[in-house]
Parts: sequence; C-alpha cells; structure tokens
Amino acid sequence: MHLKYKMIVPLVLVLSAIMLYPLAFSGWLSFQDYRLTRIDEVHPVGLENYRFVATDPAFLNAMRNTLTFVFGAVTLELILGLSLALLVQRLRIMRGFVRSILLAPMFITPIAVGLMFRFLLSSEIGVVSHYLGLLGLSVDWFGPQMALLTIILIDVWQWTPFMLLMFLAGLEALPKAPFEAARVDGAGPWLTFSRITLPMLMPVIVVALIIRALDAFKVFEYVFATTRGGPGDQTVTIMYFIYQTGFRFFRMGEAAAAAVMLIAVILVLVVALVKFSKIDRSKG
Amino acid sequence: MFDYPNLGARVAATIAIILALFLVLFPFVWVFLESIKPPELGARPDVWVFTPSWANWQEVAFESDVPLNIANSFFVAAVTVLISLLCGAPAAYAFSRFRGFSGARYGILGAEMMPPAILILPFFLLLYHLQLIDSRIGVIAAHLTFVLPVVTWFLIGFFDEVPKDLESQAMIDGFTRFQAFYLVILPAVRPGLAAAAVFGFVLSWNDLFYALLLTGSESRTLPVAIAGFWTFRGIEMGKMAVAILIAIIPVLILSHSIQKHLIRGIGGGAVKY
Repeated sequence: MHLKYKMIVPLVLVLSAIMLYPLAFSGWLSFQDYRLTRIDEVHPVGLENYRFVATDPAFLNAMRNTLTFVFGAVTLELILGLSLALLVQRLRIMRGFVRSILLAPMFITPIAVGLMFRFLLSSEIGVVSHYLGLLGLSVDWFGPQMALLTIILIDVWQWTPFMLLMFLAGLEALPKAPFEAARVDGAGPWLTFSRITLPMLMPVIVVALIIRALDAFKVFEYVFATTRGGPGDQTVTIMYFIYQTGFRFFRMGEAAAAAVMLIAVILVLVVALVKFSKIDRSKG
Repeated sequence: MFDYPNLGARVAATIAIILALFLVLFPFVWVFLESIKPPELGARPDVWVFTPSWANWQEVAFESDVPLNIANSFFVAAVTVLISLLCGAPAAYAFSRFRGFSGARYGILGAEMMPPAILILPFFLLLYHLQLIDSRIGVIAAHLTFVLPVVTWFLIGFFDEVPKDLESQAMIDGFTRFQAFYLVILPAVRPGLAAAAVFGFVLSWNDLFYALLLTGSESRTLPVAIAGFWTFRGIEMGKMAVAILIAIIPVLILSHSIQKHLIRGIGGGAVKY
C-alpha cells in the first residue's frame, strides 16, 4: 500500500466508526417506527416518519424559528462585526488589548453565556431589567414576541467576535496600493469602502457567513438555558425539536427523519449561498 | 485613540468602542461579583458594594461534584485531542501533499459541519446497548465527531504553508518519506499542532449537547453541571457563578495564546490572507 493511503488509515477507520456508521444507522432509523418506550415493537414504516414530520406543525414551526434565528443573528453579526473590524483597524493605541477583550465571548461555553443572560435579563432578579425599570422601561425579555429576538441577541453577543476575528485578519491582508490610489483620486470614505474594501473583502465575508450560518443552525444551548422552547413554542428551534422528539417523547424514528430533513435544508442553503457568491464575483 | 481626520468621527468612534467593551465585559464582571457575593444577597440586582465572601467558592470546592466534573471535562477533552492529533496529523499531511485527495478536503469540511442532531440518536442507542451511557468513553467518541474533523482541517492549512523543498531536502539526506514527515515537517508545524490542540480542547470542553445526553452522575462534564445549578432546588446563583468562572477562565487563557493562529486554522487553506 502506498504511504499516502497508510497515512489516512487511522482517520478513515475512526471516522467510519463514529460518523459513517451512525449516519447509516440514523438513515435506517428514519424509516422505522422506533420508540424507546416500545423497544420490542420496532418495525419498518417506509416513508411514514417523513410524511408525518413534514406535515407536523411543530416541526414546521421549529424550522421557521430556526430560519428566523439564523437569518437574524447572522445578519446582525455581519453588520456589527464588519463595523467593529473597521473601527478596531483604525485604533492608534491599545489595539491588541481591545481586540483580545472583544474576541473573548466566542471562546466560552454557550451554556454559560445562555445562563448569564438568563439571569441578567430575568424580570424578577435581573440587573438589566432592574435598571431599565428605574428608567421607566419594562421589557419582558423572555415573554411572547421578545423571546426569539432575545435569543438572537445572545447569539450576537457571543458570535459577533468570530466575524470580527475573520474581518480583522482580512482587512490586514488587503493590499495597500488601491487605497493609496483612491486617496490620491480624492475618493471619500464611503466610496473607498463600497468600491474597494467591500469587494476585496468579499471572499472572506462569504466564508465567514457560511461558517457562522451552519453553526447557527445548531443552536441549542441558549434555548435550553433560557426558555426551554417557550413561551408556547415560540423559541423551539430545530435542534430543540429533535431533542424533545427523541429524548422527551422517545420517538427516535421521527427525530431521525427530522434530522435528515434538517441536513437537506442546510445543503440547499449552502449550495445557494456558494452559487450566489460566485455570480456576485463574476459580475464584480 | 483613532486616526480619523475630523474630531466628530474620532469622538463617535471612541464612544462606539467603549460601548462595545462595556457590553462585552459587563457579563464577566457581573458573574465574578455574583460568585463572591455573600449568599444571602444572591438575588439582589441592586447591591454592588458588599464584603466579599468566599462561601460560594468553598461550597463548590468542598461540598459539590464540581471537582469531579472538572476532572471529567479535562480527561474527555485531553483524550479527544490526543486521538485527534494522532489520527488527524498524518491524514492532514497526506491531504496536503499527495495527489488524488482534492475531494477529501470537502469530506473533512462536511464532517465538521455535520449537525449533532443526526448523530446523537445512534450514539445514544448504541451506547445504551453497549451499556456505556454515563461513561467517559462514550462522550470521547461523541466529541471526536467534531474535534477530529476540525483538528484535521486546521492542520491541512498549516501543512499547506510548509515549503515542499523541506522534505525533498530531507529525503536527499537519506530520510524515508515518513521519516521526513515525522522528523522534519511535524516539528516545523509545531505552532500549528499547538493551535489545533488548544482549539480542539476548547471545543470539547465547551460542549453541552452530547454531554447532556450521554453522561450521568459519574461522567458528568462541567457544562452539564453548570446547567444543573438551575434545575435542582431552584437557582443557586452564587455557586453557578463559581462553576461558570471555573469553566471559562482556563479557556480564555488558553485561547488567548492561539489567537494569531486561529484564522489560518479556520480558513484551513481555503481562505488566503
């Protein structure tokens, strides 16, 4: 065997055991009536799970919540991250120090972030609610209408730093010549940004968007830490839905079908985003 | 602070940066104060001046399972990273250097992006049948599903940057290809190995989802324990604050050390800066 195959054998073996096999298992599971409560009565049901999940209002609601969450959070993070990167890049003093602090949130465990905000924003004992109250403002952060937005904002707190990290590195690597030329030609800051910075940064922006969006689809911890899906089912995300279906209601078959459909949705979105970014670049 | 030409822009930028710093730092300051608040003041949002009390820290250290949780988290993360480096480094080198593996990079990326939702069901059922629920082995296997691809992806990027002359030279000097990899190239990417190891460690250390469903009282990791302070007997705010600090301080220190390498790793050779 050629050395190049020998070198990948350990990786292939481990990934087959922990990923390929479980994936195949999940695929099989999605065609079974598999309930943990009736483990002796497992039997194949064809496409029944898919039909059930695809028309289940709870699944569709979870999908809608997740898409709202992903779109809202990633858009805000992109805008904030890019603005902060442009600001930090122009810092004359303490740049390294400011950068280190602003990046901190992305490294800590999401459950801690969720719980910190659960109690900071709590309407009874929350510091934020207390001082907003002194100003005469009353916001029910985890109430109807607000809860999903609050979870988006928690995600923005933790993951805007990721965008900042990517864009700062991207900005630092841009060639200086076009900016010099623009300055000589008397281009204003907005023109320089929209015609030079933004187009040259586009590849980094696309990669950052894809990584962040795929990650946002997996949101679970903030929901688990704050609302547990409530009020009603307003903050049930797709991961939380699968967690509930599989491990609260013990319906493994349906949970597997939902997971397969989640992957299908993600694939479609990734392909669309990559296509879109390519069209965009061939125009520019 | 800023080098904008007009004063208005400088003032606005300074205010924006100070606001951003405040928003980032406030939760950290709050959670620290909460951890040293005397327990009887625990639920008071308006008390900022008090005599620090180490009661919460003492209770967590001596009368809770948190030390066990820390040991579990550390063991799981360390073993996961070790296996990831052993399997990932040679494979990443092969993907970076040999022909015929262009599809493999996408495979690794795909594995990295796989939603845990689809893997947790078979993991739970298999570990249940093997009677490995509430074992560290089960969590390590689950954590490998995301740490191994990430570490491999990181290393591909670092190997790509090592000049090919390096191993050609070593092979002229009489090394075999594998010796060249092991004795010349690996030492050359030591910073990359360290960055990948730290990043993988942080990912495993921070995971809640798999650990929540696959551990029990013996193998419970720190993130699951943190969540537990809310569900048992109401809220134990002070102790939870202590556990949160224990979970985040080592990670903040570790990740600070690899900030510079992080970008190259995440880009994995896909983004050229």
